[in-house]
Amino acid sequence: MTALIIFAILTLLLATSMPVSIALGLTVFSFLYFFTSIPMDSIALKLFTGIEKFEIMAIPFFILAGNFLTHGGVAKRMIAFATSMVGHWHGGMGLAAVVACALFAAISGSSPATVMAVGSIMIPAMVKMGYPPQFAVGPVAAAGGLGILIPPSIVMVMYAVATSGMMATGPDGEVVFSPSIGQIFIAGVVPGLILAAMYAATTVWRAWKNGYPRLPRAGWGERFAAFRKSIWGLLLIVIIMGGIYGGIFTPTEAAAVSAVYAFVIAVFVYKDIRMRDVPKVLLTSAAMSAMLLYIITNAVMFAFILTSEQIPQHMSDWIVSLGFGKIGFLLMVNIMLLVIGMVMEPSAIILIMAPILYPIAVKLGIDPVHFGIILIVNMEIGLATPPVGLNLYVGSAISKLGLTEVSKSVVPWLLTALVFLMMITYIPEITLFLPRLMGM
Amino acid sequence: MFLRILDRFEEVLISVLMAAAVILIFVAVFHRFSIGYAADLVRYARANEMPELQSWARSVYSSINSIKLTWAQEACIYLFVWMAKFGAAYGVRIGIHVGVDMVVLKLDAKWQRIVTIIAMSGGILFTAILVWIGTTFVYHVGVGGQISADLEMPMWIVYLAVPLGSALMCFRFIQALHLYVTTGQIVHHEHGHVDGMDDAPAPANGGAAK
Amino acid sequence: AQSVTIKFSHVVAPDTPKGKGAQKFKELAEKYTEGAVLVEVYPNSQLYKDKEELEALQLGAVQMLAPSLAKFGPLGVQQFELFDLPYLMADYDDLRKITDGEIGQELLGLLDPKGIKGLAYWDNGFKIMSANSPIESTDDFLGLKMRIQSSKILEAQMLALDAVPQVLPFSEVYQALQTGVVDGTENPPSNMFTQKMHEVQKHATLSNHGYLGYAVIVNKAFWDGLDPAIREQLDRAMEESTIYANSIAREENEWAMAEMVKAGYTTFHELTEDERAEWIARLRPVHDEMASRIGADLIAKAHGVLGIE
Ligand code: NA
Ligand code: NA
Repeated sequence: MTALIIFAILTLLLATSMPVSIALGLTVFSFLYFFTSIPMDSIALKLFTGIEKFEIMAIPFFILAGNFLTHGGVAKRMIAFATSMVGHWHGGMGLAAVVACALFAAISGSSPATVMAVGSIMIPAMVKMGYPPQFAVGPVAAAGGLGILIPPSIVMVMYAVATSGMMATGPDGEVVFSPSIGQIFIAGVVPGLILAAMYAATTVWRAWKNGYPRLPRAGWGERFAAFRKSIWGLLLIVIIMGGIYGGIFTPTEAAAVSAVYAFVIAVFVYKDIRMRDVPKVLLTSAAMSAMLLYIITNAVMFAFILTSEQIPQHMSDWIVSLGFGKIGFLLMVNIMLLVIGMVMEPSAIILIMAPILYPIAVKLGIDPVHFGIILIVNMEIGLATPPVGLNLYVGSAISKLGLTEVSKSVVPWLLTALVFLMMITYIPEITLFLPRLMGM
Repeated sequence: MFLRILDRFEEVLISVLMAAAVILIFVAVFHRFSIGYAADLVRYARANEMPELQSWARSVYSSINSIKLTWAQEACIYLFVWMAKFGAAYGVRIGIHVGVDMVVLKLDAKWQRIVTIIAMSGGILFTAILVWIGTTFVYHVGVGGQISADLEMPMWIVYLAVPLGSALMCFRFIQALHLYVTTGQIVHHEHGHVDGMDDAPAPANGGAAK
Repeated sequence: AQSVTIKFSHVVAPDTPKGKGAQKFKELAEKYTEGAVLVEVYPNSQLYKDKEELEALQLGAVQMLAPSLAKFGPLGVQQFELFDLPYLMADYDDLRKITDGEIGQELLGLLDPKGIKGLAYWDNGFKIMSANSPIESTDDFLGLKMRIQSSKILEAQMLALDAVPQVLPFSEVYQALQTGVVDGTENPPSNMFTQKMHEVQKHATLSNHGYLGYAVIVNKAFWDGLDPAIREQLDRAMEESTIYANSIAREENEWAMAEMVKAGYTTFHELTEDERAEWIARLRPVHDEMASRIGADLIAKAHGVLGIE
C-alpha cells in the first residue's frame, strides 16, 4: 500500500514534465508530510551526505574526460583507423562506425557522447558516399550504446554507488557484498566486445542485402599510418584499464587522470581545442555533472524513504514467495526495465531501481556483478528506444531525420541487442568469465 | 547588471571547482607515484650498499612523504558538492534538467500551459523547502561544532552549499517560470550539440531538444 | 505504561560481534522492561551510513548507535583519539583499565555537551599489520602505501614507520590491495577475515599495535526523558550485553585468526621480544607528537594508569 502511494505520487509528478530529480525530491517530501509523522529534518541529512562519496566523483571526471575527447579530434583519428581496417567489407563505412564506437566506448563513459563523437563524422560521410541517411544513422545510434557497456562507464559507477554498502543476503542467508566499480568495469569487457561483434555482423548483413558501397582495401602502410595518428587516443585505453588493474590508481583516480590526459592530447598534441576554449569545456562538463549529481542526491533520499518503509524487503519477500526462481525473475526484470527504459534516462532508472531489485536478485542467488551487467544492457537498449532515448536524439540532431525515422532506422540493431540481452541474462559465464579469470 | 554578474559568477565558480578537483586528484596520484620511485631508489641503494646514494634518496623520500595529501579525496568531494549545488542552479538556466514530457505534449494548449506551470512551480517549491531545511540543518551543525575528518574544516561551511545553492536554484526556477508565463518559451539544453566541433552539422530543432 | 521505541542503527552485518551485541541488547531490554521498551535494530547502514549516523543521532532521527571511537574526533571531542595511539594498551587487561576506569568514564562524559550520552565501550579488537611484503622490522615499511581510515593519529603512526598513509573508502580497499594501489593495511583479525583481505595480503605481523573499538551512545535528551525505573532496567541490559559483545568479539578474533592461518594465503609473523621493542621504540614518539591534539594531561594520566614511563 505504502509502495503504491509513493510510486503513484512519483508517476503523477513525473507526468507533469518536471525534472526527474525534482519529482523524486517532491515525492519524498509530500509522502513525509501527508502520510507519516517523520520530521523532515531526519531526511535533510541525506541532502548533504547523499553524494559525499569519493567513488561518485568518478562521474564528473569521466564526463570531463569525455568532453575533451569529443571536442578534441580523438574520435576523428580513431574513425580513420577503423575505416582503414574494415572499410573494404560490405557496408564498410557502417562497419567502421561500429568499430569506432567500440574503440571510443573504451575511453568514454557515456553513450550519447559516443554517438555524438562518432556519428557527427560518420553519418555525414556515409551519406556523402551514397548510403541512405535512414541506414547511416542506425548502426551509430545503436553501437553508441556500447559507451556504457564497455568500461569506463558512468552508468556502471551509478550501479556500484547505488548498491554500495548493501550487504544483501544470498539464498542460504550468507552475506553477499556489493560489487566494486573495478569488478563491474572488468565484467563489461567481454559482453561489450561480443555485442560490438554482433552489431558489426548485423551491419554487414544489412549492407550486403541492400548492396551498399564498400571502400577500396587500404594497404598496410596506410593502416599503420592511421594507427599511428590515433595512438594517443588508443593509449588512453591502456592508461585507464592498465592503471586500474595494474595497481597504479583506483577507478576514481583513473577518471581524474584520464581527464588530464584527454586535456593534454586535445590541447597540446592534436591541437583541436584551443586553450581559450577550455573554460567552455569545463563549464559544459560541470553543468552535465551537476545535473547527474543532483539526481543522485534526490534518488538517495528517495531510496532512504523506501528503505525506512521497508519496501524493498516487502517486495523481495513477495517476489520470492511467488516462486519465480531466477529465470522468471530475470525475465520480469528485463521486461520491466525495457518498458521503463522507453521513458526514462539510465542514471535515474539505475538509482531508483537498483536498490529495490538488487536484494531480490542476491536472495535468488544471482551474482551481483552479473546482475549489474544485465541492468546496464537494458539501459543501453533504453537509450535507443523511443520516445525518450538520448542516442536517438543525438542521431536525429546529426542526421536531421525525424525521431520516427531514426527509431525505424535503428530497429535491426535493437533486435540484435535484444538477442544479446537474452544471452547475457541466461548465460552468466559470458559476464563472469573474465572477472573470475582475474581472481575478482 | 546584477544579473550579468550573477550569471558570470555562477559560471566561473563551477568551472573553477571542476578544474581544481581534477588538478588536486591528479597531483595526489602523481605524488603517490613519485614516493614509490623514491622508495625504490632507497631500497636499491640499501641492497647494493651505496651509503651516499642511500642517504640522498632517503632525504628525497622523506621530503616527498612529508607533503601530506591524505586530505585530497575529502577536498575533492567537497569541491564537487559545491559544484553540484551551484551547477544545478546553472543547469536550470540552461535547461539541462530533463523530465518526461510525453504526457504534456499530448495535452491541448490550455492544459499544457497549466501543467507546465505546475511543473515549474514544483521546482520552486522544492528548492524553497531546501533553503528552509538546509538553513536549519547548517545552524544545527554549526552549534554541534562538527569538523571534517581530514581537512578538519567546520562542517557547517561545507553544508552551506545546500541552502545557498538551493536559493540560487529557486531564483532560476522563478526566472524560468516568468519567461514561460510571459513568452511561452522553455529553455532546453541541446544534447545533440557540441561546440567547437567543425564537422558537426548544426543541430536540428525538434527531436534534439530535451 | 506508554511504550518507547529505540531505533538502534549500525553499519555492520547482523552476525558480527557488534551486530550480535545489538541483538542481545534488544532481547534483554525488551525482557527487563517487560515490553515497555521496543528496540528496533537496523544493521548494515540500512538507515544511515557511517558518516551520517552521528548527525542523525543528534537530530533525534535514531536513538542508539555504536560508532567506531574514531568518529568522535570529527565531532569535536579529540580526546577520544587517545584510543588510536599506537602501543598504548598492550592487552585486554590494559584496555579494561582504561575503558572501565576513570579515563573511560571521563571521556564518555565529554560527549554530554554534544547532546550525546555514552553508555558503554564495545570491543572490536587489537589490530595487526598486513602487506604484500614481509614487515618484520620497522625498516620494512619504507615506501609501503598503507591504507588507513581518516585519522591524524593513524597518519602520524604510518609516517613514523616511514610508510605512506593512504585514505581510501572502505568499499575500495579489497580491490586496491588486490591490484596494488596500496600495499597493506591494519585491521583486527575479524575485520581482515570478513572483508576477505587475507586473500590479497601475503604477509601479516601480529603486532597488536593498536586498538579498534566502539562506544554505545544514545541521544541524551531522549535518555534523560525516560522514566528512571525503565532507564535502570536499560542500564542493566546494556551492562550484560556489553559483557556478551566483548566476549564474542574476542572469540571472533581468535576464530578469524585460525581461519586465516588455515586458508593459507597469508604468512603470519609473530614479533620477537627484540622486534617488539623496536616497534615500540619507533611508534611511542607518536604519543608526544599528538599530545597537543589529545591533551598532554590525558596522555600522561593514561601512561600512569598503564605504567608506561
Ligand atoms: Na565506456
Ligand atoms: Na528509451
